[in-house]
Amino acid sequence: MKRFKYLLNKIKWAVFALLFVLVLNFFLFRVLPGDPARAGVKDPRMTADSQQAIRVRFGLDKPVINCFVSLNPLKLGNCLINPLQTQFFIYFGNLLQGDLGISYQTNRPVGEMLGGFLLNTLILIGFGQIIAIFLGIFLGLIAAWKSHTAIDFGAMTFSLVAWSLPTFWLGIVLLFLGSTYLGLPVVGKFSAGMSLQEGWLKFLDVAKHLILPTLTFTVVMLGEYMLIMRSTVLEVLSEDYILTAKAKGLNTFQILVDHALRNAMLPMVTIIALNLGFTVAGAIQIESVFSWPGLGLAIFQAVNRRDYPVLQGAFLIIAITVIFANLFAELLYSYLDPRVQAS
Amino acid sequence: MSRKTWLLVLLIIPAMILSACGGAKTETPVVQGTEVPTTKTPVIVRVGYAGSPDTLNPTAGILSEAWTMYGLVYSSIYMPQYDNSFKLDIADSVTPSADNMSYTIKIKPNVMFHDGTPLTAKDVAFSLNFYREGVDFPYMNGYTTSFADAVAQDDSTVILTMNTPVPNIDYLLAYLYILPEHIWSAHTGAAAMEFDNAAMIGSGPFKMVDYAQGEFVHLAANPDYYGTKPLVDEVVFQTFSNEDALVQAIKTGQVDMITEFPLTALATLTSTDNVKVVSGPGLAPDLNDIIINQVSADNCPVADGGLCTGHPALQDVVVRQALAHATDKQQLVDIVLLGEGTPGLTLIPDALIPWFNTSIQDYTYDVAAANQMLETAGYKDVDGDGVREMPDGTTKLEFRFNWPSDSTVAPRAAEMISNMWGDIGVKLQLQALDPDALTSICCPAFDYDIMFWGWGSDPDPSFLLSVMLTDQIPTGMNETGFSDATFDDLYIQQGQQLDKETRKSEIWQMQQIVFDKVAYIIPFYTNAVQAYRTDTFTGWITDQPKLELQNVLSLVAVEPIKK
Repeated sequence: MKRFKYLLNKIKWAVFALLFVLVLNFFLFRVLPGDPARAGVKDPRMTADSQQAIRVRFGLDKPVINCFVSLNPLKLGNCLINPLQTQFFIYFGNLLQGDLGISYQTNRPVGEMLGGFLLNTLILIGFGQIIAIFLGIFLGLIAAWKSHTAIDFGAMTFSLVAWSLPTFWLGIVLLFLGSTYLGLPVVGKFSAGMSLQEGWLKFLDVAKHLILPTLTFTVVMLGEYMLIMRSTVLEVLSEDYILTAKAKGLNTFQILVDHALRNAMLPMVTIIALNLGFTVAGAIQIESVFSWPGLGLAIFQAVNRRDYPVLQGAFLIIAITVIFANLFAELLYSYLDPRVQAS
Repeated sequence: MSRKTWLLVLLIIPAMILSACGGAKTETPVVQGTEVPTTKTPVIVRVGYAGSPDTLNPTAGILSEAWTMYGLVYSSIYMPQYDNSFKLDIADSVTPSADNMSYTIKIKPNVMFHDGTPLTAKDVAFSLNFYREGVDFPYMNGYTTSFADAVAQDDSTVILTMNTPVPNIDYLLAYLYILPEHIWSAHTGAAAMEFDNAAMIGSGPFKMVDYAQGEFVHLAANPDYYGTKPLVDEVVFQTFSNEDALVQAIKTGQVDMITEFPLTALATLTSTDNVKVVSGPGLAPDLNDIIINQVSADNCPVADGGLCTGHPALQDVVVRQALAHATDKQQLVDIVLLGEGTPGLTLIPDALIPWFNTSIQDYTYDVAAANQMLETAGYKDVDGDGVREMPDGTTKLEFRFNWPSDSTVAPRAAEMISNMWGDIGVKLQLQALDPDALTSICCPAFDYDIMFWGWGSDPDPSFLLSVMLTDQIPTGMNETGFSDATFDDLYIQQGQQLDKETRKSEIWQMQQIVFDKVAYIIPFYTNAVQAYRTDTFTGWITDQPKLELQNVLSLVAVEPIKK
């Protein structure tokens, strides 16, 4: 019962946070200067009538909310109009029905567009995270075990350098080296014509395209995980029960894996869960360098065109992943460490 | 709750999230009737470009990449050529009536759409009316404003009646792609622009095979094409969001042609084995312009949000002419464009022959003359700080100079222009702005002094000329606030002038007016710079007045190099 109440309370705050983010996002884009009807287009064929038609089509001619026609420039309006004829309530009404709107740029449903992009991002960061997590835990453990030796020094140096490398720079360097010397592809998810293949050939082609972006992502995340793992294992290894374990005659492997690792995993689990939420958006640099058609790239392109529905939809996805990843991390932590709930 | 139940809850939450997010399709499925040939390894041309079509729906497309695809997949009555002319495409003849108020269009027989349905005059008439009635279509609507109605007299004859005679029917019809009525009749009115048109059934030399938004467009040759059939089996356009990757792809042979690349890679690609760099005026050339805010108080569109805060000195044509004399355009071309361009003159690019006015003598780069003009007009440097003041001594000649932050040429150009104009006692406050922030201060707000920006262009000059009309000041299309009654009258005249030479003369006159009053200073016209592999395909069209390797005329001509 106690755990159930704890769970409900956490979910309640997660929902509040999500609502706050949704409202903030809506107004945030409308505070930016510019007009989606004209965004990025410098073509005389885009006449004033065409622009107005775009505004009407996407409801941009309606007031933002009661009392405000627009936020930038700030234009006050009628406070007594029907709220359901304002952009804010139309957006939320559609959202409650699962409709994320239509993209201003592509005229396609945003949900359909973002679903595909999200899946591509999850493929990219999924593989990268799995490799970075396992390698980070393993190498961090080794570095802590061999602390103050050449191995530890090497591991520390590598992890600090990896964590501080600019992602886009690393990506471009790997792109150049990988394509020149290993013939690896530099763009997209498929080679020309491979999208129509089935089965093993298609899988191999996608895997080949994943090598460089995943390697970039892994190197950047690996540094962080190694450092944290090393630091927490060192802390655990200084505990009295480890000394007891040594005194009992347990070998190094048993001490590290059965005693140190489990306790050192607590902060790692939290970091991993939080990273899973943030890296959905954080892959934007990698996706841009390798033209990987993910959520980050979609956001970058939507910003240029002031494509509000796509941006709002993408930010909604990111907010959900971050908030629920945070929730998951809290719940997992409380499962792993019952002392958290008791407090 | 037990720990096992607790763990179950923890596992269920992410599973629910992932199941809700996954499973959405990432791309348009293969379209029925457009299977890729499987009997032999297909010959595929791989094209790399930095953009992607915004939509496959020709009624809604805005980006040039979308229009490239329309030109490959669809037919139209006329097809634009590299020399700025138009050649009959789906039509055998277009005959005007004596008063030019109607046209009899004879459609080629035995033409099929990609799905095997015959293309008849009914489809042509349907398409022309469809575009005319689509008042919301961003670009298409502008081509049909003078159309009254289109009627299919029989299976091969369309009668197009006009509201007003036009001098450029070939241009107006060239971009009105013929749509299959049996598909599009279900998507009329408001539904037209929302139709994703994934199958893209047309009658052009290529047909849609597969498409993924922001990733690639995969086309296959149309074996039943009525015109020059492609010599390759397929073309795949791959989108690169990183221009360094684009350059690397052509160097390593991952693509056969790239439609653009940063000029900083020019030296690298020129020296790369098996890569040929070509340049020349683009088929629809872009131009950059220095926009000078000269909106008068009478024309300030206050009701539409006009603030009109431009520097008063810019209202004086002498100041604008002095600025023109102080601009070394050749140096800008040599340094900013690395030589890949030509000095600018008027808002009509020099590649738009015969509309470009070749008789205009540009303001020579003469700093001494510019200084003298300003001295004579009373703009003196009273306090000796190197910056001139207004004749009444109040305001310095210090101008805000803005450009869009996404421009690759503007930062260096702005820096150079600042130095050049510094030589005549004019100081610039340089600032890059987000394109939308720039739009919001530009027009109709007119809350700026000078901007560096540009326009895309069309083979016909009428759209570009329209941005200098007085009645476009409140709409925001007129970005300088330029207003001249003679120009406005000439615009109307040229729009109805049927004699080509007379129309040319009128358009030349309009350019002279704008040039004399310095509505813009055009620094340069940028070349299209493209590259292709010399070891994979041959036959790229590079010997024409314009350059666009991805154009349908070029892609039907390329063939694999026989090894």
